[in-house]
Amino acid sequence: MSEILKTLRSNDLALGLIGAVAAVGVWEICARTGVVDPTLFPSPSLAISAAAQRLTAETLADNLMWSLFRVFSGFILGALAGAAIGIAAGWYRGFGTIVRPLIELLRPIPPLAWIPLAIIWFGLGEPSKLFIIFLGAFFPVVTAAYQGMRSIDPVLLRAAQTLGLDGLPLLLWVAVPATAPDLATGVRIGWGLSFGVLVAAELIAADRGLGYMIINERNTGGSVGVIIVGILLIGALNLLTDAAIGAAIKRWVGRWHGA
Amino acid sequence: MMRRFPQIAPPLIALAILLVAWELGVRYGFLKPYQFPPVSRIASGFVELSTIGFPTGVSIWSHTLTTLVRVLLGYVGALALAIPLGVVIGSFQVLDKLTAPLVVFCRSVATLSLLPLVIVWFGAGELTKVFLIGYGCFWVMLSNVIAGVRYVDPVLVRAARTFGLHGGELFRRVVLPAALPRIFAGARMALGVGFMVIVGAEMIGTIEGLGALIMEARTFYRSEITIIGMLIIGVIGFAISAGLTALERLLLPWAGNLDAVRR
Repeated sequence: MSEILKTLRSNDLALGLIGAVAAVGVWEICARTGVVDPTLFPSPSLAISAAAQRLTAETLADNLMWSLFRVFSGFILGALAGAAIGIAAGWYRGFGTIVRPLIELLRPIPPLAWIPLAIIWFGLGEPSKLFIIFLGAFFPVVTAAYQGMRSIDPVLLRAAQTLGLDGLPLLLWVAVPATAPDLATGVRIGWGLSFGVLVAAELIAADRGLGYMIINERNTGGSVGVIIVGILLIGALNLLTDAAIGAAIKRWVGRWHGA
Repeated sequence: MMRRFPQIAPPLIALAILLVAWELGVRYGFLKPYQFPPVSRIASGFVELSTIGFPTGVSIWSHTLTTLVRVLLGYVGALALAIPLGVVIGSFQVLDKLTAPLVVFCRSVATLSLLPLVIVWFGAGELTKVFLIGYGCFWVMLSNVIAGVRYVDPVLVRAARTFGLHGGELFRRVVLPAALPRIFAGARMALGVGFMVIVGAEMIGTIEGLGALIMEARTFYRSEITIIGMLIIGVIGFAISAGLTALERLLLPWAGNLDAVRR
């Protein structure tokens, strides 16, 4: 017995798996024995079977693809714009002194607070959602890019200048790679924010996507099981994409900065 | 004062030019006033909001108070649960390993995606909003408390043991003070999360609170009120994070460089 315990203790993954299985088990038992009302909080097995009954694989895939498409396109636009403006603000003094205070002024406003204005500007269609997700990625990336540019080791720049680099090549080949770790942090935070914002935007004003799927289920008095499956799916999607982006960043940044 | 002036001047001038161009653009019909309400309209909207209120009778201050009370209730509740639980989990390695995947997953669940479920549970009232804020704050706080307690520099602990400290005394005099900066950082992050969640949560099923205000104003094409609401949300968010940073410096002078704490 103690041997088993010892090997378990040394194996993080097994322990984590046990914890997760135990939590799901307790949840299942509570709902089955009626400790928790299964119509309000069904067990995982009941939720999945209810969802399987009410949703076809096709609608689920359709909603999933819409959510993913929205969040990726908004995020990529926001991250690119944020990186470009942040880097330019850090590199060109004049541009920075004018642009940065304006950004600092708008930064404390959470992206979700832009939803009404986005609807006024762009209507209820895709562009307003794209804009909100864009903002979710933009602010963390622009701040990180600027901070990264300001904290470049001046020795790097001077060395490159001594070797004859100047102007745009100096920016692209030395300064930008030097800010990569800061940029990576900003991108990671921006992704998390984009994702959270996506769900909110889909809850408040959308006619497809995972967020819409779950709020519609509750508005039409459908099954709680579908809502729970939707929530778990959104969580898993967030976790997986975050891990994927983290891994991609590590490879990219690792080219210049040892991981 | 004089020496700082030239630094602030260019952005101020740029901002002034922007606002004047905006005002003129509306006046000469290049911009639609309901899409881009000019400064003059925002100013008069602010007067209306603080006297008559929007919807009539609910002034901007009462919206702000409603939102702040909701955030505070959820936040304090989350902290009261997360700090003791996190200290316990962080103190025992086995517990941390058992719960790690669960904590990571629950933290990844988008807080606002819980909204439909929580409405089924508690209806669309106050409890739903407080619960959502609590959920968002709780997991951020919990993971920071666990990390703070677990990753105390082992040299500190070993040194304290060498001097004869152990058990509760070791925890109270060494582990806790070393973990506090990380815990405080978690508290700061959690408040930011709570503040973000409330704006979204208030957009559905209520007419009170800043999130509801900006959404309601949109329905009536009162975009200047939406913008005022956004600015107030921004000011509060800024004040909260600045205040907590100042408080941290005051309360935890030994924290020093937080980057060192973040491993």
